[in-house]
Amino acid sequence: MYDIYAIITGPLAWLSFAVFLGGSLYRFISLYQLARKKDGAVFQYMNLAYALRSIAHWLTPFGARNMRLNPVMTVVTFSFHIALFIAPLFVFAHVVLLEESFGIHWITLSDRVADILSMVVVFSCIFFFARRIMRPEVKYLTTWVDIVILIIVAAPFATGVWVFHQWAGFPTMTLVHILSGELMLAIIPFTKLFHMFLFPFTRGYIGSEFGGVRMAKDW
Amino acid sequence: MNTTVRQLILLILISAGVLLPSFSFSDDCTNIDEATFTEKRRPFVCFIHDEHNEKAGLEEDCALCHHTYEEGKLVADESSEDMACSECHAKENDPKQFELTATYHQRCRGCHLEKKEGPITCGACHKKAK
Repeated sequence: MYDIYAIITGPLAWLSFAVFLGGSLYRFISLYQLARKKDGAVFQYMNLAYALRSIAHWLTPFGARNMRLNPVMTVVTFSFHIALFIAPLFVFAHVVLLEESFGIHWITLSDRVADILSMVVVFSCIFFFARRIMRPEVKYLTTWVDIVILIIVAAPFATGVWVFHQWAGFPTMTLVHILSGELMLAIIPFTKLFHMFLFPFTRGYIGSEFGGVRMAKDW
Repeated sequence: MNTTVRQLILLILISAGVLLPSFSFSDDCTNIDEATFTEKRRPFVCFIHDEHNEKAGLEEDCALCHHTYEEGKLVADESSEDMACSECHAKENDPKQFELTATYHQRCRGCHLEKKEGPITCGACHKKAK
């Protein structure tokens, strides 16, 4: 227990940060080079105004036609993404650990709010899973990797709730919590989770092409 | 006295008999610096000073925790049992006492990790009332 804890909170924590940052940088550079080599038109059609217009619509709840057609999915996905970032960054226990390691701290959520946000993430993942196996058009695109990614994303939040409420076996679950968080961070650059960085570019390009070439809305 | 009142009194006496020992039990916990944390976010840690030090073999080693620093340097042979940790480690106007909390965590968990003995996860010390 003590050795595992020391490894998970020490070298493995740094490794996951390094893989996350280094991997993301690598993916950015390699994707940029690939686009330059194979799809030069992307750079010519890229237009900041059209890009931002499209991004703004897709970042606004119900700001795109597809979101209005699928209202439940829209509510779940927006709540999910907001909770996904707010909960881990501002949960009290994490901010205390920041103070311990780096001597900095910032505002914190109340325990109740953090608890609810974490459950929002877990239930959203269950919703996404159900959607992936029940809707034919989504099922058609689903591979086992998508399911594994959903589990990896849900794990830190499910175990976080577990540990916070001190349910049976919570000391071991604390280790699973930390480890699953590190795993989630480390796979971001190499999976579709990388859309957290790529989203402005893919959306921006589609917006540019629709705005500048097709003269049509893309939302 | 009617039966209901007698039964009620009996019930109160039994409850008191059951509850009182559990209240007095908490006297064992050393409530270190409790008043300094004006905004309590976690169940307070029950640190049983004498029992802990006997188990850890620290009876003669008070200065390990009750240390003294002068101009940023540890004074080897001096201890500070008469002072509260918060006198040096607390920050004014911080209801959550982040710095003091970090100091406690580093002191307790750091030692437990080093000795491979004692609790290290959050909930193992900050136990929720059952």
